[in-house]
Amino acid sequence: MTATQPVRGAGIEPEPAGEPLDVPPTAKARTSGGGLSLRRLPYLAVLLLASVLFLYPFLWLISASLKPRTEVFDNSLLPRVWRWANYSDVWSYAPVLQWVTNSVVVALTAAVTVTISSALVAFGFAYFRFPLRNLLFGLVLATMMLPGAATMIPVYLIWHRIGLTGTQVPLWAQNLFGSAFYIFLLRQFFLSLPREYFEAARVDGCSFFGLFWRIALPLSRPALVVVLVFEIQASWTDLLRPLIYLQDPNLFTLPRGLKAVIDTFGNGGEQHWEIIMAASLIATVPLIVLFAFAQRHIMNGIASQGRKG
Amino acid sequence: MSIDRRSFLFGASGIAALTIAGCGGVRQQTSPTASSGAGSVTTQGFGKPDDVGQARIDAFKKAHPNITVRINEGDFDPQQFLSSVASGNPSDLVYLERGLIGTYAAKGALQPLDDLISELDIDTEQYRGPAMRQVTVDDKVYGIPEFYNTRNILINGKAMREAGLSPQDLSTTDWNKLHANAAKLYQAKGAKISRIGFDPKLPEFLPLWAKANGADLVNSDGSPNLDDPKTAEALAFAYSLISEQGGWSKFKAFRDTWDIFGAGNAFVKNQAVAFPWEGWYVNVLVQASPNLDLQSVPFTDRQGKPISFCDGSAWALPKGAKNAKAAVQWMKTMTATETWMQAGAARAATVAKNKSMFTGLWTANVEADHQVQDKYVKPSGRAGFDQAVSHYYASTETAFAVNSSKAGSEIKTAWTDAVNRVLAGRQAPEQAMRQAQSEASKAYSALK
Amino acid sequence: MTKTLTDKSIERAARSAAGRQPAGPRRNWREIRAAYGFLSPWIIGFVVFTTAPMLISLYLSFTDYDQINAPNYVGTQNYQQLMSDPKVALALKNTLIYAVMYVPAAMAVALGLAMVLNRVGRAAGFFRTVFYLPVMTPTVAAAALFLLLLNGQKGLINRSLMLIGVHGPNWTTDSAWIKPGLALTMLWGLGGTVVIYLAALQQVPKDLYEAAQLDGAGSFNRFRRITLPMISGALFFTMIVLTINSLQMFDQAYTMFFGGQQQSTYANDAALFYVIYLFQQAFGVLHMGYASALAWLLFGIILLITAVQVRLSKRFVYYEGDR
Repeated sequence: MTATQPVRGAGIEPEPAGEPLDVPPTAKARTSGGGLSLRRLPYLAVLLLASVLFLYPFLWLISASLKPRTEVFDNSLLPRVWRWANYSDVWSYAPVLQWVTNSVVVALTAAVTVTISSALVAFGFAYFRFPLRNLLFGLVLATMMLPGAATMIPVYLIWHRIGLTGTQVPLWAQNLFGSAFYIFLLRQFFLSLPREYFEAARVDGCSFFGLFWRIALPLSRPALVVVLVFEIQASWTDLLRPLIYLQDPNLFTLPRGLKAVIDTFGNGGEQHWEIIMAASLIATVPLIVLFAFAQRHIMNGIASQGRKG
Repeated sequence: MSIDRRSFLFGASGIAALTIAGCGGVRQQTSPTASSGAGSVTTQGFGKPDDVGQARIDAFKKAHPNITVRINEGDFDPQQFLSSVASGNPSDLVYLERGLIGTYAAKGALQPLDDLISELDIDTEQYRGPAMRQVTVDDKVYGIPEFYNTRNILINGKAMREAGLSPQDLSTTDWNKLHANAAKLYQAKGAKISRIGFDPKLPEFLPLWAKANGADLVNSDGSPNLDDPKTAEALAFAYSLISEQGGWSKFKAFRDTWDIFGAGNAFVKNQAVAFPWEGWYVNVLVQASPNLDLQSVPFTDRQGKPISFCDGSAWALPKGAKNAKAAVQWMKTMTATETWMQAGAARAATVAKNKSMFTGLWTANVEADHQVQDKYVKPSGRAGFDQAVSHYYASTETAFAVNSSKAGSEIKTAWTDAVNRVLAGRQAPEQAMRQAQSEASKAYSALK
Repeated sequence: MTKTLTDKSIERAARSAAGRQPAGPRRNWREIRAAYGFLSPWIIGFVVFTTAPMLISLYLSFTDYDQINAPNYVGTQNYQQLMSDPKVALALKNTLIYAVMYVPAAMAVALGLAMVLNRVGRAAGFFRTVFYLPVMTPTVAAAALFLLLLNGQKGLINRSLMLIGVHGPNWTTDSAWIKPGLALTMLWGLGGTVVIYLAALQQVPKDLYEAAQLDGAGSFNRFRRITLPMISGALFFTMIVLTINSLQMFDQAYTMFFGGQQQSTYANDAALFYVIYLFQQAFGVLHMGYASALAWLLFGIILLITAVQVRLSKRFVYYEGDR
């Protein structure tokens, strides 16, 4: 995206515009003068220092997860004794593998359902003209302001009435009905697609659903990936809902399980911090891997929230 | 390493489904028998069993091959428990602190056991009186007591001797002397504490400090009695020990770094000299640091009479439990004398294997305790450990329990919060306990 | 990931929607039916999971309800109790103090980092990734990690401070320092805000700076008169999001200081945030009626604060379209 182009797609480009967005053009223009200039050195120094501050806790986490209990607070980055057994201990103390599986299943289900449902709704708002459209879209946006804590209790009671508390269903099933932020994001994207594509398809006798399924979706891959990844992350790190809905440890997701491990082994318990650190790392690594693969999309998705349009 | 504390391990491999019936692939027909209530039961709050727990599970399995038991590992979690009851899908058994039973019984989250106790012919006389009183609400029994923890003072002998003190110097009889000695044993470098002299274990041991000063936190009718000036005085003293030794925030932060269960525990690393603790910690210490110079002295009131407060877990039956009869059968077997004897044998085997010593089992079953002690607790050659064990056996006979109350949990929350306010320096002891009393009274009268 | 949006985008969306309004009374019923077909998931969800819950919650807030027994109408008793409950006052105070502490700090640090990033050209991509990595750490894991790093006696943070001669406080046990400690934990995860600011900064037309420089404006003046107004939309957006999120602080504080029987023994009042108290009341002791009243109070407070922020923004936020 360039600064002059009208921004319709909330900062995410339609598929054909395949320009890598890692480095925005304005920045690129500035660097075109050549490599490292002396003027930039102080800035680089500041950034290096900040990077150490941001990365060191990670390294500390990895290191602590490999130390014997007595050395956790030693703060040396290299363990004197490498205690790989911490990891086998975690697996034997707690059903971590089960939790990882649960988290993967819940996160993927949540992400796929919310992407499809939000895309449907977004397409409805983007393509059609119909009465009450502004009012309804205003309502969509308004629900974003609604704090989740406000509806936590009645939503729980609804699931309770349906008889699904104690299962993983409430962790994702609300996603069948779309999510306001994603609807907004995808609608903006759909609006940026050339309308002629759809007109032409209509002339060829394509159904409305066909427009959505065969034209809008395939052209919107970058935006769909953003939604998928955001939702996977949100679901993967969610603590509150699993706390409310899950009682059987075998159904726990990773954050809920990790919290149970902390309660048992942490403060006020046995203080086996090395076990907790190992479990924390296990919970973190899958997201880092996801990030490694989807970095470009994540960055663009986030950046789009602050860009002016 | 095996440890009395049941919550130490979390669960073997995920679903620790102890398929107790039909082990080894032999498909067993679940033929209901009238006497025990066949089928399957699930538990909640019972962590992965140690050797003692496993031996008793095995005993149950042998006695009741027609009941399948599934252990859901993890500590008791009030929110988790209440949700499961409220959603109508509770476990068949819940394992929890006896002090919580009154509250949950009053809420209707637990069922009385009296009918099943008489049907299954459980002898409630075999259980210790204070424990039974804790699980009895309005003359109905809501739980079967299991372990029985009491408190005595454990001492790092080496540090004590180096300071020229004897165990009696760390007794709780003479508060002024204790205060002076705690200050003497405390060590710090600048803002960093390097050793705590005496840890009064606040907030959790407030009932003990109050009792030592002649006050009960809960009246015998179950109403809260938190604003007794003697309680505030006891709290003020226990708190003064902490303010003398660095103040709460440093004190607690330092304690958070201890390796409580390991070979580098606070005694070995000379991070602590003395604190009151439950008897199971003796077993932890002898396994983790067998050469420790452990000393001990009974917790006493200010007149020098040994006192100790006891608590422990109980098995209870959640409202809506599907297989009540089998669940109560489980309670009966798990706490029977012969079962405890098998547990004792298992522990003795562990001890022999580790060339360690038997530090006793403290259960709510009097007869079982006596038999286990007679059969397995022998002089070990570690005089300090032996003496500690004998102190715990002695305190088991004299310990008191906090009186049970329908508002037990709320009362406990009230005083715990009060102590935390004092520790945080936000309130003076009298003021904090007065506020606790008004909170607890409100909760208590709401139940009437 | 936040799902909140600014008033600005709402306006914008409304404007763009208005532009596409059909030009007459002509109605294509087939299209309308199809449109509502596409919208139906959201409409159902809105009714079942937003409208109905709000109504149920309103009703419950006037009852005594423990989920085990039927609700019992008690009039405004819950709201009266809420006014006199010292824990509500405490939780509100904690939450507001934390928000006031964290939001400006997060905005300032993120803006600082973004401005530096904006000056290093190609290398920005790498550093941006580094700053974003902590965001990918699950909140519970980050909380566990910082509980150790923040330990006042032996934690890494205080040991590092010692290197520059500073005696760090007891972040996890001293009531006065628990909220700053939590804020520090949260600051570690501010990468998302940095990315937003960087994107906004990169959109500021360079010729504006050049013109200002020709006029002899110093760097501070350029920052104040060009940078700040030009990115005010992003600043405002993040302010709203960070505020709403701060007011709903739960994961980190709950992980570090609550939950589990043993841990609750040491519950520190200074970490009692509003949503934690709400959660405890609702699901810990099943005071669902009272907790519903608490939820409505929170809803009202967030609405009020957001409204004030939106009003203020009218004066400070620069929109290109306004001129």
